[in-house]
Amino acid sequence: MQAVSSGAVIAAPVLPPVNRARPRRAWSFSWVAAAALLVSLFALLPLGFVLWVGWQTGWEVASAMIFRPRVGELLVNTAWLVALVVPLCTVLAIALAWLTERSDLPGARWWSWLAVAPLAVPAFVHSYAWISLTPGLHGLFAGVLVSVLAYFPFMYLPISAALRRLDPAIEDTAASLGLGPWQVFRRVVLPQLRLPVWGGALLVGLHLLAEYGLYVMIRFDTFTTAIVDQFQSSYNGPAANMLAGVLVGCCFALLAVEAGTRGDERYARVGTGAAREAARRALGKWTPLCIALPLVTALLSLGVPLVTLTRWLVSGGAAVWPMRYIGPAIWQTIALALAGALLTTLVALPMAWLSIRAPGRLQRMLEACNYMVGSLPGVVIALALVTVTVRVALPLYQTVVTVLLAYMLMFLPRALVSLRAGIAQAPVELEHAARSLGHSPLRAVWGVTLRLTAPAAAAGVAMVSLGIANELTATLLLAPNGTQTLATAFWALSSEIDYAGAAPYALIMVLLSLPMTWLLYLQSKKTAGR
Amino acid sequence: MNQLLEISAVRKSYGPVNVLGGIDLGVAAGSRTAIVGPSGSGKTTLLRIIAGFEVPDAGTVTLGGERLANGPDAVPAHKRGIGFVPQDGALFPHLNVADNVGFGLARSLPGRAERIAELMDMVALDTTMLQRRPHELSGGQQQRVALARALAQRPRLMLLDEPFSALDTGLRAATRKAVAQLLTSAGITTILVTHDQSEALSFADQVAVMRAGQLVQVGTPMALYLRPRDAATASFLGDTIVLPAQVGAGWADCALGRIAVNQAERSGAAQIMLRPEQLQLAEVPVESVDSAACFGEVTDIDFGGPVCVVSVRLLGAASATAPLQVRSPGVHVPPVGATVRVAVAGSAHVFEAA
Amino acid sequence: MRFSLPAIAVAVGALVAPLFALAQSPAGGIVVYNAQHTTLTQAWADGFTKETGIKVTLRNGGDTELGNQIVQEGAASPADVFLTENSPAMVLVDNAKLFAPLDPATLAEVPANFQPAHGRWTGIAARSTVFVYNKSKLTSAQLPKSMLDLAEPSWKGRWAASPSGADFQAVVSALLELKGEAVTAAWLKGMKSNFTAYKGNSTVMKAVNAGEVEGGLIYHYYYFGDQAKTGENSKNVDLHYFRNQDPGAFVSLSGGGVLASSKQPAQAQAFVKWIAGKGGQEVLRTGNAYEYAVGKGEASNTRLVPLADLQAPKVEPSKLNSNKVTELMMQAGLL
Repeated sequence: MQAVSSGAVIAAPVLPPVNRARPRRAWSFSWVAAAALLVSLFALLPLGFVLWVGWQTGWEVASAMIFRPRVGELLVNTAWLVALVVPLCTVLAIALAWLTERSDLPGARWWSWLAVAPLAVPAFVHSYAWISLTPGLHGLFAGVLVSVLAYFPFMYLPISAALRRLDPAIEDTAASLGLGPWQVFRRVVLPQLRLPVWGGALLVGLHLLAEYGLYVMIRFDTFTTAIVDQFQSSYNGPAANMLAGVLVGCCFALLAVEAGTRGDERYARVGTGAAREAARRALGKWTPLCIALPLVTALLSLGVPLVTLTRWLVSGGAAVWPMRYIGPAIWQTIALALAGALLTTLVALPMAWLSIRAPGRLQRMLEACNYMVGSLPGVVIALALVTVTVRVALPLYQTVVTVLLAYMLMFLPRALVSLRAGIAQAPVELEHAARSLGHSPLRAVWGVTLRLTAPAAAAGVAMVSLGIANELTATLLLAPNGTQTLATAFWALSSEIDYAGAAPYALIMVLLSLPMTWLLYLQSKKTAGR
Repeated sequence: MNQLLEISAVRKSYGPVNVLGGIDLGVAAGSRTAIVGPSGSGKTTLLRIIAGFEVPDAGTVTLGGERLANGPDAVPAHKRGIGFVPQDGALFPHLNVADNVGFGLARSLPGRAERIAELMDMVALDTTMLQRRPHELSGGQQQRVALARALAQRPRLMLLDEPFSALDTGLRAATRKAVAQLLTSAGITTILVTHDQSEALSFADQVAVMRAGQLVQVGTPMALYLRPRDAATASFLGDTIVLPAQVGAGWADCALGRIAVNQAERSGAAQIMLRPEQLQLAEVPVESVDSAACFGEVTDIDFGGPVCVVSVRLLGAASATAPLQVRSPGVHVPPVGATVRVAVAGSAHVFEAA
Repeated sequence: MRFSLPAIAVAVGALVAPLFALAQSPAGGIVVYNAQHTTLTQAWADGFTKETGIKVTLRNGGDTELGNQIVQEGAASPADVFLTENSPAMVLVDNAKLFAPLDPATLAEVPANFQPAHGRWTGIAARSTVFVYNKSKLTSAQLPKSMLDLAEPSWKGRWAASPSGADFQAVVSALLELKGEAVTAAWLKGMKSNFTAYKGNSTVMKAVNAGEVEGGLIYHYYYFGDQAKTGENSKNVDLHYFRNQDPGAFVSLSGGGVLASSKQPAQAQAFVKWIAGKGGQEVLRTGNAYEYAVGKGEASNTRLVPLADLQAPKVEPSKLNSNKVTELMMQAGLL
């Protein structure tokens, strides 16, 4: 700011009067809004498709397909899964977050990283590792176990960030009011964790609904496994789409529950003083027991996959590394991931721009569309795109474009979140300052705002890449002939119980995901200001 | 003496950094004490040790005869019954005002609602605010709610950690006065920690100045202001005019001539201190300048409304001294360039030998 | 960080362009929609390309998935040849009138009982339904006499299958054709309460081998294939052939056909001819697929029980109805 003010003082006498660029502003505004509108309308495609198929099928047939015992079975399974996994993840995440952020646990930084690292292992590889270890593992218990181990980092990240940001003065005051440590935790700390817990729970719930590979391997039937089974039996028959409709209903139910019970309190720090760092509680004689929790969690969520992969690779030897198949798979995965991530981030830009610079009713509605679609399982989106391209846009059918479009629809919310955070860091005043120094509006945006957004956009690209590299169902359904990503190759081999052959692909997927998981970990530390 | 709180030889260090080095302090029941010092002097640490959020490395803290801390062996904070109001109120964001104020009161307590209303009344807040959330209140209102919340416990001792620093300047003085009156009428012993010396001087019965982990001087506000122990304390508590002088028999000879000092025993060379309000200016015609009294010339006037700061360059033998900054009422300010006679009201203070 | 827009565009283009190249059909070759095991078809494709120089691109998937996909794509389908593991999918595509009549020379290579009468597709391999059982859990006296026994209450919790796979659905389609809708629906109902579901026949065999379940209804070649490798998934099991023209002795035909919409009909016909002829059937005999060869005068792998000894029931392959099977299985709550 110093430079800006001195620059203004020096330049003022020489500069011609600044143009009142009123009309231009109005145009560029609506151009961005139009782009965002287009994207949101496209995002509604899968939803519209499900509704349209339901309409076409007719109520009689549709209700016969929806209201039958099998669907009831699937609903019960899904309900049990969500009801058990979400609370378990919450308790585990809160316990780990408290231990790593608020206690003097030795090696807290390492445990913190180990609590995030399971994200680098795709969910279906977790499942593959567990059934290699205990082949008989199946059913609800297995589903809950592996789901908790695969998804608890989604809750650990926001909860630990929130714990770091909590104002310790509030807890001190509560203590001075006569509350012992446990009471302080229950009545003061936990309520302030409500937002991250709710957000994390929603994320975990949506993943549970959308996941395919994990549950197939442990023989636990969910809507998504049933939809893929139907797809493989009747391709794009109405039955698959009816199931998809019920699944979409479940997703919306989750979204509604979260939105309805979240409340609208603001839990940001009230007041102007700087938050001091909270003192770490001494564990004393509880230390060995407290170390056991992160240790056992790490062993189960990271140790089991690593040990299994090593075992299979060792027993498979060099024979399981046919580079003429692995090489192309790696290259295709990276290419799809990067292309998809760049496309998604670019497409998300107008929407993110609007939400920060020009929030309003229309913008909120558009954003809601994007988030709703992003919560849909990959299989539903893939089904929709298959039908649309086969009937309406045949040249696009079975091309890379369709796959990328599917990725874009699935991962738009991730890109949006990162971009919004980035644009929020570049207040409009900086742009104005640049314009007062003689830059055209476009150049001001490019040189100032987009530059400042670049790190956040890069993080968004990384996150979306991570998601795409590990994506299975949509790729299975949409990939063009001869395209084999690491995930689909892994899946093909493990379906033929060639576990040793599948191991190299799993290993490479984990190695590729590690840098992006590391980035995620660093990012979460930074947003808390430490 | 009836000391409610006694702190004896309290030490605290964080690793290699020594934050508190041997603090001794006594606080009488029903009184208001202010601990004042620059940032980093350790005053907040001392407050947190009294509250029980930190534990001293050595020393004792005794409250009403009960030993609260003896070295690292300490009673935890939630058992001390000491009220604490942090810097920006720290209201619980997930609760409304009523639940905040009643936080320490058991849900099943009979007459809970009445007690809450009574507390709101004590801090002069309207009961219509009870359903509001903390983020809907102004800074001053939040501070009062925090106070009411702490008062609900009927604490023996109340600790305030820079409670007025977040308020607008205009509000600060009024709030301070109101809080002081409230606490005294309720008979609650209070310790205030602040870096603002005017706040400390006006609020407290007893002022303790801290510097670099030591208590430099403890006493009444007037005693500290008029008879500070050293130049650093003196300048911390207000503007000073420090001059070298020769003292003897209750008088000092300095650039301002012969002025009375408040000490008869000292003799020899010494530093003396005057407060700016002790200097008075009277405009005189140029011709009357002589060596009997102290005369000067006005070089600059900094107009401040009711009080102006007048820079005066001394004439005669003392002209080598730096110009004096003299406070003068806005009425009858001598113009720039006028000759004035400088008179000293009251006596100067002699600093202890270095 | 200097993000210049042109640089980004070039980088993205460089990464993605080859992907687009992949997506187009390779010039001068054929596209095969392949539902057979990839290793087998790859061996066929490699052998064919070696002999004729014609390039073969495979799109792999499941029987019904690919069959339905071809039907949906219609005349715009990029497929030239369709190969399946079982017959119902061929019937599906044929009913949509998408197959071109096969070369008479191709049809002459395969006996009449391994082909539908109309000549629009031909059998290229065969597999037998078997009951794989754990040797330590079941004695030969305890084995089911007929596949229909498996729906009896006495078999509750004692057998497994892979209902979502096209293989099993083909077995059900044979049952439907042989015994009619009522018997099939009742059998499926019994199955639902008795069986344990697994995904994939290999997984079924593995589970039987591990003793998780006493037996399973799969096809024969999984056993031989595993035995030829390490045998770790089959050393505790043995195969039980139902014989006696029981529905459980059903021999399923893998089919091959040429799409009418093919842009390279001559090459496509040549490929099917090669598979059904000496070259392709030799792969079946000497390779590790362990499926039955169907070509005239071609013997199957010596380890297999000879086709003639299986006493398979007579099923007209063009009558197998996969849509009806899906419907019945949905009604029984299996899908």
